[in-house]
Parts: sequence; C-alpha cells; structure tokens
Amino acid sequence: MQRDIRKWFMKAHDKGNDNASTNAEKKPPPTDPKTETPVREGQEGSGRRKTSKYFAANKQKQKGDEEVEDLPAKRKAQNDGVQSVKAPPSKKVRKVEDDEEDDDFSVPKKKNGASPSKKLKSSSGRVIAQKPVDVNESDEDDVKNIESPLKSGGRGRGGRGVSGAPSGGRGRGSGRGGFMNFGERKDPPHKGEKEVPEGAPNCLAGLTFVISGTLDSLEREEAEDLIKRHGGRITGSVSKKTSYLLCDEDIEGRKSSKAKELGTPFLTEDGLFDKIRSSKNIKAPALEASKVPVEKVTSLPKKSPQKADLKTHKDLAAGSQLAKQKNQAIQRSSLTWTEKYRPKVPNEMIGNQSLVTQLHNWLKNWNEQFHDAGNKGKGKKQNDSTAKKAVLLSGQPGIGKTTSATLVSKMLGFQAIEVNASDNRGKADAKIFKGISGSNANCIKELISNEALGFDMDRSKHLKTVLIMDEVDGMSAGDRGGVADLIASIKISKIPIICICNDRYSQKLKSLVNYCLLLSFRKPTKQQMSKRLIQVANAEGLQVNEIALEELAERVNGDMRMALNQLQYMSLSMSVINYDDVRQRLQGSAKDEDISPFTAVDKLFGFSGGKLRMDERIGLSMSDPDLVPLLIQENYINYRPASIGKDDNGMKRMRLIARAAESIADGDIINVQIRRYRQWQLSQAGSLSSCIIPAALLHGSRETLEQGERNFNRFGGWLGKNSTVGKNLRLLEDLHVHLLASRESNLGRDTLRLDYLTVLLKQLTDPLRMLPKDEAVEKVVEFMNVYSINQEDMDTIVELSKFQGHGNPLDGIPSTVKAALTRAYKDENKSRMVRAADLVALPGKKKALKKRVAAILEPSDDGLREENGDALAESEEENSSDTEDTEGTGNGEKLQSELLSLNSKGIQVEVELKSGKEKSKAKKTPTGRGRGGVCIDGKKTSRQR
Amino acid sequence: MTRSSFIKKSPKTSRNWSLNKTVHICSSMGPSGSGKKTLIMALLRQIFGISAEKVKVENRTWKIDAGSRTIDLELTTLSSTNHVELSPSDAGFQDRYIVQEIIKEMAKNRPIDTKGRKGYKVLVLNEVDKLSREAQHSLRRTMEKYSASCRLILCCNSSSKVTEAIRSRCLNVRINAPKEDQIVKVLEFIGKKEGLQLPPGFAARVADKSNRSLRRAILSFETCRVQQYPFSSNQAIPPMDWEEYVSEICSDMMREQSPKRLFQVRGKLYELLINCIPPEIILKLLSELLKKLDEELKHEVCHWAAYYEHRMRMGQKAIFHLEAFVAKFMSVYKAFLIETFG
Repeated sequence: MQRDIRKWFMKAHDKGNDNASTNAEKKPPPTDPKTETPVREGQEGSGRRKTSKYFAANKQKQKGDEEVEDLPAKRKAQNDGVQSVKAPPSKKVRKVEDDEEDDDFSVPKKKNGASPSKKLKSSSGRVIAQKPVDVNESDEDDVKNIESPLKSGGRGRGGRGVSGAPSGGRGRGSGRGGFMNFGERKDPPHKGEKEVPEGAPNCLAGLTFVISGTLDSLEREEAEDLIKRHGGRITGSVSKKTSYLLCDEDIEGRKSSKAKELGTPFLTEDGLFDKIRSSKNIKAPALEASKVPVEKVTSLPKKSPQKADLKTHKDLAAGSQLAKQKNQAIQRSSLTWTEKYRPKVPNEMIGNQSLVTQLHNWLKNWNEQFHDAGNKGKGKKQNDSTAKKAVLLSGQPGIGKTTSATLVSKMLGFQAIEVNASDNRGKADAKIFKGISGSNANCIKELISNEALGFDMDRSKHLKTVLIMDEVDGMSAGDRGGVADLIASIKISKIPIICICNDRYSQKLKSLVNYCLLLSFRKPTKQQMSKRLIQVANAEGLQVNEIALEELAERVNGDMRMALNQLQYMSLSMSVINYDDVRQRLQGSAKDEDISPFTAVDKLFGFSGGKLRMDERIGLSMSDPDLVPLLIQENYINYRPASIGKDDNGMKRMRLIARAAESIADGDIINVQIRRYRQWQLSQAGSLSSCIIPAALLHGSRETLEQGERNFNRFGGWLGKNSTVGKNLRLLEDLHVHLLASRESNLGRDTLRLDYLTVLLKQLTDPLRMLPKDEAVEKVVEFMNVYSINQEDMDTIVELSKFQGHGNPLDGIPSTVKAALTRAYKDENKSRMVRAADLVALPGKKKALKKRVAAILEPSDDGLREENGDALAESEEENSSDTEDTEGTGNGEKLQSELLSLNSKGIQVEVELKSGKEKSKAKKTPTGRGRGGVCIDGKKTSRQR
Repeated sequence: MTRSSFIKKSPKTSRNWSLNKTVHICSSMGPSGSGKKTLIMALLRQIFGISAEKVKVENRTWKIDAGSRTIDLELTTLSSTNHVELSPSDAGFQDRYIVQEIIKEMAKNRPIDTKGRKGYKVLVLNEVDKLSREAQHSLRRTMEKYSASCRLILCCNSSSKVTEAIRSRCLNVRINAPKEDQIVKVLEFIGKKEGLQLPPGFAARVADKSNRSLRRAILSFETCRVQQYPFSSNQAIPPMDWEEYVSEICSDMMREQSPKRLFQVRGKLYELLINCIPPEIILKLLSELLKKLDEELKHEVCHWAAYYEHRMRMGQKAIFHLEAFVAKFMSVYKAFLIETFG
C-alpha cells in the first residue's frame, strides 16, 4: 500500500510539475536553508527537562558518528540512488530490505530532510521557503485518502496529524503502565499539531525503543504505531538492548534513571521524526537495491544482529529440521502450512512443554497403572486413587492440543484413534458417535473391549491403542447423555482416553472433569510464536521481518494455526511481508475474540474509532446490544472529539454532543419498537443510532469531568438508577394505597408525589422540630393515624424528598425525639385499628400469594345493611357462589370467630375488635371469600382465577 | 381541610352532568387541580347516593393468561358497590392486558339491584392519556360492546393524547382550571371555616403562585399555615422542594454550557427521576423556566421541548430524552450567547 501511495504521490506531481524529476529535485531546495539547523536526534541522558527545542543541537554529532559507522561500503549505492532519483517512479516498487540500506546511507541527506513542521512554526522567516514541502505533503495526504479508503489501519495523519493507533483502541488493553498510570498521563501538549513523517518502511529496523512520559505531539499509541510501522521494536522497560529512550520531558521516572545508568541515549519526538523523515528522501536507491534481492534474502540474518542473537541452538536445530521439511515440502506443496509445519516431535511444540511432558508421563505409565492392575484383579480397583484413567486437555483453539496428543501417543507407540465431533457426518465416525451417545452396543465400548480381547489373544501386543476424543465440549450438542456415556466408557476402559475440549469450565463437562486428569494448555507467548513463524517463513523463502511476525502473533491472540494460515495466505500474493501488510491483513480477518462491552466502547470511542469500517462498528456495538448503548450513553460526554480540531470555546463540541444525545434518544425509540413490537429488523438501525453515530461524532480522547474520577469508562448508570426508580415507585404506591385506605382523600399517585408530598413531610417533621417533645410526638402520631401512614411510609416520604445537595429533611430533629416517635407509634400500633394495607399470607397455598388488602373501618349504620344486598356488584364475585351472602347480616360473630381461628393459625392480621365493627379478615375456604356481612368495606380477598 | 373546599366547587359544574344517566360514557379532561376527580365523585354521589362514598381500596394481583405465558399484574382499585375506579396506566407497557382482560371482565358483569332491575355500574379510569396506544385501541371495543351494563368515565389531563376513536365515543367535558379570583374566593371561604385571619392580599398571592391549580393553592395555603400563623402579609410562600430543584437545574444550565455541566445536570435529573417526579413534568417545568430567556430563544426552546417530550413518550428511557433536550438547549444557548456577546 505504501508503495502504491508513493507511486501516486509521484504521479500526482507528474501532472503538477511536468515530470517526476523536477519533483525530486525540487524537494531539496526549500530544505537547503535547513542544512545548518541541527539534526535533533542527539540525545543525552541527564538533566534535560526542557522540550526538544531547547537542547536539540547537542548530541547530533555523536549520533552522526554512529551513523557513519553504520555506513559501510554503501557510498556507492548512495550515488546510484541519487542518480536513480530521475528514474520513473513506477518502478520503485517493493523492497523491504533496501530500507535498511536507506537507513544506512541516509546520513548525508538527513540534514536536508530535517524540516519538522515544528521548526516551521518557530522560525517564521523560513516559512515561505518551506512551503513547497508542505504542499507536497498535503498532496500526499489527499492522494492517500483517496487511494486507501479501506486501509483503516493506515496512517491517516492528514492535516490534523491524527495518526492511526489501531492497536487495541486507546491502548489500555496493552496493560503497559496499568490503568492508573494511563489515567494520569496527560494529553500531549501539542497534540495533533505536528506532521507525522512518512519514512522508509524499515528505517528503524533493529532499534529498540522505550517510550516514557508524555510526548510532545503524539499519543503513546500513535508513537508505538509509528515506530512499529517503521520496523522498530517497542519494549516496556529499559534494558541493555534498548537503543533509545523516547521522551520529551525528563520526568525522573524509573525508565529514565535506568536509561541513564545504562547509558541509553535519549531521543525526542522531533528526533524520531527526523530520523524517519530522513529515510524517506533516500527512497530512490530502492530501485538500485531491487536488482539484488537474492543477496538480500540470504543476508537477512546477518543484517539484524539482534535477531541473530535471539536464536538459540535449539532454534537452529529446529531450523535445520525445517529446512529438511522444506525440501519435502517442495514436492507436495499443496499441503497447507498448518499440516506441513505441524510439529513432528513433542519437543517442537511451542509452549506448554511441561504439560506435554506431563501428558507423556501419564500415557507412559498408564499401562502399568491400570492395565496390569486390571489384568490381575479383573476389577477396576485402582491402587493409586489420584491417578485418573483419562486426561482432559483444555485450551483455546489453535494452540496445539490435538497435535500434542497425537504426537505423544505416536512417540510412545500408541495407535491413536481419533474420534472427532466435527467428523460425525462421516459414516464411520457417525456410527461411533452415535454409539457414544446412545446404546450400549456402541463402537467405543467395542473398541475398548476389543482391545482388551486382542491383548488377551496376544495378537496385538505391540499395537497399543489410545482413544483421542476431540472436542468433547461440542459432543452433547445433538444428544443428551453423551458425556455420561463417555464417563462410563472411561470407567471400564482398557485403553487410555484423551479428551480434548476448549472450555473446561463448560457446564456440559462438569461431570467429566472428575474423571480426568486436567491439563490446561496456555497460549504461547508472541515471542515463541514469532520465532516459530520465522522458521516457517525462512523455510518457505518468504521475506518477513520479525516485527511483522510479532504483530501477527499478537493479532491472532495466541492461535498458532491461525497465524500460519494467515501467513500462507499472505504468501500467495506477496513474497515480502512487512508490518503494514500484516496489520492491514489482520484488520479484516482478525480472529474473533470475546470482547467485553467496555472494550467495544473503548474501541468505538477510541482515537482511531473514525477509521473503523462500518461492519466492524456494527460488530462492536452488537457485541452486547443491551449494554453497549448504555455504556455509550453514560460516557459520551466525556470524550473530546478528535474530529473538530481546534475548538473555540467548546461550541463545536457542544453541538456534537447535542447531536449525539439526540441520536441516543433515537436509539431508545427504536429500542422500544424492537422490544415492544418485536421489530427485530430494526436492530441494526438501533445500534447505528444508539452506538455508532454518537461514537462517530465524538470519538477522541477521554477526559474526566469530575475531580478524582478515573479516566476510563464508567458503567452505565441507567440500570442502577432505573431500579431505584422502580423501587421508589413501589414505595410510593404503598403510601398511596395507605392514603387511599385512610379515606381521607382519593388522590392519584402523581398528585400525591407532586403536590402532597411536601405538605405531608412538613406535617410530619415540622412539629418535631418546633414543638416540645411529647406534644410533637403526639401530634405526629395522630397525623399518621389519620392518614394511616405507617413508619415505612414515613421513611418513604423522607427518602423521596431528599435531593442531592439539599439537606436531609430530618436534619435538626434530635434523635431522642425520633426515638420517642418510634416508641409512641409502636405503642399505639398495638391498639390501632387496621387501617393500613398489610401483607397477609393465605394458608393453603404453598407459596403465599402476595396480597395487599386494605380494610377500612366503617360505621355500621343501618342504612348500610340495606345496601348490602346489592353489594355483590363486584364482577369477579359472580362467578363463584357467594355463600356469605346468604348468611345475611347477622354473621358478625361468626366472622369474628373465623378471624380468631385465622389468628391462631399464625396469620398476621392486626385486629382491634370494637363493638359492632368488623375488621378485615382473610378467609381461607377455597371456594369463597370472606365478606363482612355488616361492613361492605370489610377486607375482601378474592380468589385468583 | 382540603376536602371541604373541593366540595364547595363541585356543585357549580355538576349541574351539567345531572342529566347524564343517558350519556353512556363521559370523558372529562382538564389540567390537574381543576377538580375533575371531585366532579366525578359528585356525579357518582348524585347517581348512586351516599353509597358511592363508601369505597374500599383493594390492591390485588391479577393473573392474566397471555398466550404462552401468564402475566402477574398488580392493580389498585377503589370501589364501591356501584363503581370501580382504577388507573390502568399504572401497569406501564402491560396496560393493554388490564384493558383487555380486567376491564372487560368488570364491564361484562352486570349488577342487579335490590328490586331486581338491571342496574349498571360505572368504571372510572384515571390517566387515560397515559395509556398506550394499544390499550386505547382495545378499550374502544369494550366501550361499545358493554355499554348496556357499564358506563365508563375517563379522566385525563389532555385530550390530545387520547385517540380520536375514543374521543368520538365519549361525551367530552372540558373542565377549566379555576380562575385566580375563584381560587381567592375558595381560599377565603376556607379561611372563614377554619377561623383563620387572612391578611389582605395574601390569598391573592397564594393563588398567583398556584399556577391556577386549586389543589396546589389550598395545599400551599395549608403549608403556610403550618409554617407560620398568624399570617403576615408578606409571608414567603414556600415552593415545592422538587420545583426548587428543577429551577436549580435551570440556573445551572443557564450559567454554564459545557460537557461538565451537562454531566452534572444528568446527575440531578436522575435525582429527580429517582424521587418519582414524572419526566414529563420535569421537561415541562424546565422549558417553562427556560422561557424566561431572550425573546428570540423562546420559540426555539419551546419547539425543542415539545419535540423531546413527544419522543420521550415514544421512548422508554426518559433520561435519554431529557438529556438530549438539555444538550440541545446548551448547544443552542451557547451559540446564541456567542453570537450576541461574542
């Protein structure tokens, strides 16, 4: 891609400047005045706290020397390079290796190239002279944007200088520095103000960088990306191998002190830019170099000494083995690489060596432990209770579980029979599979017993068998009992069984794990993987640099098989693979991993969130369609949008926030349609408006809005708040019912909240504050009784009147008064008439139905009794026989007795029996409902239909 | 104290309704505090006599069979022998089931009075305007089919949120909010009954603050009484706590327009919602207070408030819409400020 862009770049200028050579020639003049300006890469450790401008000139000399040393017999090449500037740019294709050369002979030109835009600002006198360069560069940007719309991982620095930092959103995932550090790190002071240079792809190859502190204009992630793209390596801490410590301010941290100790040179951001930029001007020699690609390939290991250092003897051995394989491979090249480079001996396995050894030992000892015992006793008594008859290998896909199982058994001379869940469509295996899950006459058992028989018959003494049950966690997908049967098989088995699964915590395997020796495979580290990948690449004659392979290893998330597949796929279209290619390739085909809603939101809002493809965004927002929108809504205010650039007084940002908020509200409306009317086809529109649009508007860097807030995304507040709202509404409803039951008013719930609550609160609290204690308590209790407010209701009233930042309504009430109030209320409670609704458990039901019944005391005047006749107006009563109605009005006593019997059964009914007055009661006869004959307001418990 | 005054008002209008034994279904609408409920109660008393006042409250769980699953609904009803009062909209998005099952069930069954005549019962449905569209649709068939045995009285604040189909089946009675001098009269009447000394102009001030809601007026009158008696003519009339809080939010919004402030406002809005203040009321109040802005902005702010209120009704998570409104306002207001003052 990069090459193409250059091509375009040149072509664009062909049009503008008549031919390429003019362009190439034109470039130096404006920068010529710069030759005397120091190259800012000299670094010296200690004492510098100022920014780059201050000490830029210092160490350049030394650096120059280094460069000169690096510059062996390449002068000639350089000359060639200069000549070839005039060559048609279209030929200037592909060369990774010559980039290293670029680096080498870049020194003379470096001074020309040193025109960082920062300087441009500071030395205003030269602005005009330098303008052409800027024009060129912006042209380049335009071309690039047109050219590479899909290249999301690319360097879209553009005018804003926003460089892509696609790795892991805002880079928090990298874990380096930890959350807290990340939160504390300030924004770069000149963020986005500098042009990020474009250099030869490998100009930093072999160099190891450590980044410390805040850089001048780049975010940490951007800087990492920049360095990686140019072939450099980034490590987390300073060591002897570190070539540079990249920092713009000396914060006296551990890194800088260590660096000083080791004498690691410091490098400023500008210095880095210069280094990269300088490499670009020497692109021309690429052509020259391309003539001798063969030598380049062969000389690859020598050129990067560090790489060579890394190789151990074992690697070399393995390498030679690979070389052998390569020869074979040439004959049958149709094989996929995963098959071709599958480890042939257990030692070749990457990582998990101890587990492989464990497996090996287990398998080796299996016969002694079980088979012999089985022969002797004919039973299954195990001499060692800890020994398991089967082994369960678990781990992510692609890390070599099956391979190691096969290898180990092969090495020990077992014949491996692999039963594989994915094979079950095949006829033979299907039979086996059905057998596992189904009847007793299954092939597995047959296999097991056959083996035993065979052994007895002494026919296959040497033919030991091991059963490899692959993908056991997928086994019981179709049919139940598969695992149980497998366990049964394990119990009687006379051959070792190796089970393999991905997730050993799967519910299905719960029972199985008890019978198995558990071996959990871990992901190999990316160093281990890239080492192996390099071997493969060398064996295949593929030019890949190590950085690229490490990136590949990182991207596939530990899946070796995936890495190999990717590598092979890329090798089909190109023979030289560099960092950018890998990144670009894997952008699209990155392995699916579980992303948490937080990661998804991070990515969407991340600095490079604007460069994600649409399907990626939808994928992210759909990763949890319920939670992601809530997280977005919670956090969108916190982002300072990268798209607005310079924002005068926050106007643009406010506007964007308003748009985002509206879009989120849209999302809510759509969500209602989806959920309530089951319009699931709208779900994409929903995620678009609730996640993607706000993220697209506001992605950028996060900032905190509150003091002491940590700078990462909060969990959505809505869920918690909504449940509090629900709870409070319920409490309010209780209060409402009580008030209604008091029959002092018949207000609605909203009116209660809006109009009455304040007054009620005043009535309840003001006397406590102002009147003397006893009088106040008496008054309040009286009030509560009139409105049948109980203590919980009082708490509700207080709770609902609390506002953040306002005082607690109970402030100023002495605690003695409060205590007295509680006591007084409780005292009266004993003799209080039941006015309030209470929960009454109905006997006869297993689970007590929740039933609130309000009973109201009514004066039992005679007029009432007459009306009682048509008291059956309740619709739901008519469908059952109202036995009570026939009892007429004289059943008061009976009701009382029923009530007492109820009480004796432990039902909590608070009653105060007053003469001639009926109280609420719950009748438990299955057919009917107790209705007070006298009192139409008697509590009624209606049967559930 | 409050009840006495309501009763005073009702005879004035209930004359209109005295004939309505023939009218099947009435729908009364008007702003809160204008006496809808009082009027309905007065009407019921007129029809059924004193028994209409003997009500009982019942809060029970209904099990509703909705196809594959059963839904538990809890509903509070207030009923006498002849009428049942309920607020189906309490069930939220499940209000449809209340209308379809419970109300239908109630309407189906016909009471028989003592003399063996077929009587009829009255269903009073509160807050009809908060019913969802489906619930309203299912209501209209019920209204017609069982009109012989059952009269419905629908009560709502705004008829515009009731579908045309229902409105056309009803006799619409609009109840206006009382005028301020009417409120003053009522307050003075109460003062006399309670034996309170009213300083001149005090009742007028209370009425002025009440926003033409009689209930509000009487309540704040009562609050003043609790707070300080005898009244002084310049006594402060305490505002509602939540209204105070909303106006606090408003001044927050006016003072600064920044993401940070928006974040704080969100917290305060949550606080209001947690305290069970209906979001519609919050938005209405917000927009009313914001109208104290410059002339040019008034129109725009009103427009956006209406816009977001509509959307809030369609949506579910009120805070999203409130926040959208606040953000919109901040953006508009900020632009305006920058334009005018630079």
